[in-house]
Amino acid sequence: MNATALLSAAKDGILTGAVYALMASGLTLIFGVMDIINLAQGTFVVLAAYLSYALQVHWHIDLFVGLLITTPAMFIIGVVIERVFIARLKGPDRTGMSILVTYAVWLLIEGTLDLVFSSNDVQLQGWYVPKSFTIGAIHFGYIYVAGFLLAALLLGALYFMLYRTRFGVSVRASLADQTSAALVGIDVKRVSTITFGLGAAVTAAGGMIYGATNAFNASSSYDLISRLLTIIVLGGMGSLGGALLAGIVMVFIGDMVGVIWSPIWSTTAYFVVLVLVLLWRPQGLFGKVQARVA
Amino acid sequence: MSETLVTFAGVVAGYGGGDVLKGVDFEVRPGGVTCIVGPNGSGKSTLLKTVSGLVRPRLGEIHFKGENLVGLSPRDILKKGIVQVPQNHSLFREMTVEQNVELGAFLERDRRVVAQRLATIREMFPIVAERAHDKAGSLSGGQQRLVEFARCLMLEPELVILDEPSMGLDPKTLKVMFGTIRMMRDAGRTILLVEQNARQALKMAERGVVLENGKVRLTGSGMEVLHNPEIGALYLGGSLEEARRPRP
Repeated sequence: MNATALLSAAKDGILTGAVYALMASGLTLIFGVMDIINLAQGTFVVLAAYLSYALQVHWHIDLFVGLLITTPAMFIIGVVIERVFIARLKGPDRTGMSILVTYAVWLLIEGTLDLVFSSNDVQLQGWYVPKSFTIGAIHFGYIYVAGFLLAALLLGALYFMLYRTRFGVSVRASLADQTSAALVGIDVKRVSTITFGLGAAVTAAGGMIYGATNAFNASSSYDLISRLLTIIVLGGMGSLGGALLAGIVMVFIGDMVGVIWSPIWSTTAYFVVLVLVLLWRPQGLFGKVQARVA
Repeated sequence: MSETLVTFAGVVAGYGGGDVLKGVDFEVRPGGVTCIVGPNGSGKSTLLKTVSGLVRPRLGEIHFKGENLVGLSPRDILKKGIVQVPQNHSLFREMTVEQNVELGAFLERDRRVVAQRLATIREMFPIVAERAHDKAGSLSGGQQRLVEFARCLMLEPELVILDEPSMGLDPKTLKVMFGTIRMMRDAGRTILLVEQNARQALKMAERGVVLENGKVRLTGSGMEVLHNPEIGALYLGGSLEEARRPRP
């Protein structure tokens, strides 16, 4: 192993990991506020990638400009799904039921995408997608750097929203205890709906970067959701900072093992680390051991 | 002033596994402390939750100043001037004491009003000023309870609902807590109190209500209820029927 390979793995970990963290941030917020495990998050990413694809192919809209359309579109899709499917889940079995319901939503979206776009792989294009620059011996793809900057910007905006706005106070209070939040006048239902919308909206940028750096089809969500779920489990359910660190760790470890040993073991190595961390901290890196008051 | 502040009329409520309240009828007069006592499982906490909107009655009505509360959200009920301090500690542990207290005025959008009320609350509850920037989770159980009291007053409520506020408190803190309840009452709040520490609570209460098996079995002044010979039977695990049954 040489220093260049190590630095390159670290670079990939930070640049790509931040994008995964952005995709997972929606998942972790939704779980934290609503106790909903949104299995459809992976297919939201693929849906967002297809929306960028449709805008590019049919209206020649640049991928980044297209985010001005796809982000609110994904927010609205999230809000509608929450209102139609998720808000109906009540009672102590809500979290368990959410797995089934969001899986059904996943299949619905996946089937629709397959029908509309066929099962052939596509990839998002832009003049900047194949371009890169070099610092020392390390190559930096424009799209990866842009993805990192976009993810950092959006995660920063999410952080700002959570810690500097009135709505953020509602979200944090709902994250901590929904009953207590309701008793101080927070409209927990509204917070849940908007949070689900935001969770879907962040996949617009994530999906665009994912679609520009990977060939994808409607079934790509299977690989994505397993990555996103492991990120929020490793980072700690409900923790934004945990998702960021876990996203970076996931890609970094995968790349390191690929360089040192073989890419075949990249995913396995990550899961080994996940298991070891969970043995040490079952609540994940930044998760809290706290019983929720029903 | 109206003769009654809250009226419970045939309230039936539960959690899906059967009714806990089986037709509750009584009235809460404005001002003073109304203390609800009864054995475990009699429906005391459920009754309080029906007022604050956390549990929706299946049947019956709850009137607050003549307006039916049934079907309103906790937020809408809060807007009417009804606050509840729940049985379990309800502070947001990761937020500071001051942030928690400010959240009590979440519905008040005028920052100047919130600042004024916070200043008043700081005088009433010195701990709010002393531990302002400490995380709420770092406070003891008794301190958390006082901060919860402070928070519930931020909206200047008319009715304060307290669900077993003494739970888990040591005797010294218990004294402070009952003193605080008196202070709230003397400030003109109406207090609806559920308390396991029945003797002390009834001594303080203007009115006592005994709940058993989801129904009101006895009402009267706090002292009348306290000195009723049948009350002991309830707290010894029996029922009023057993107490009333002629002994052989």
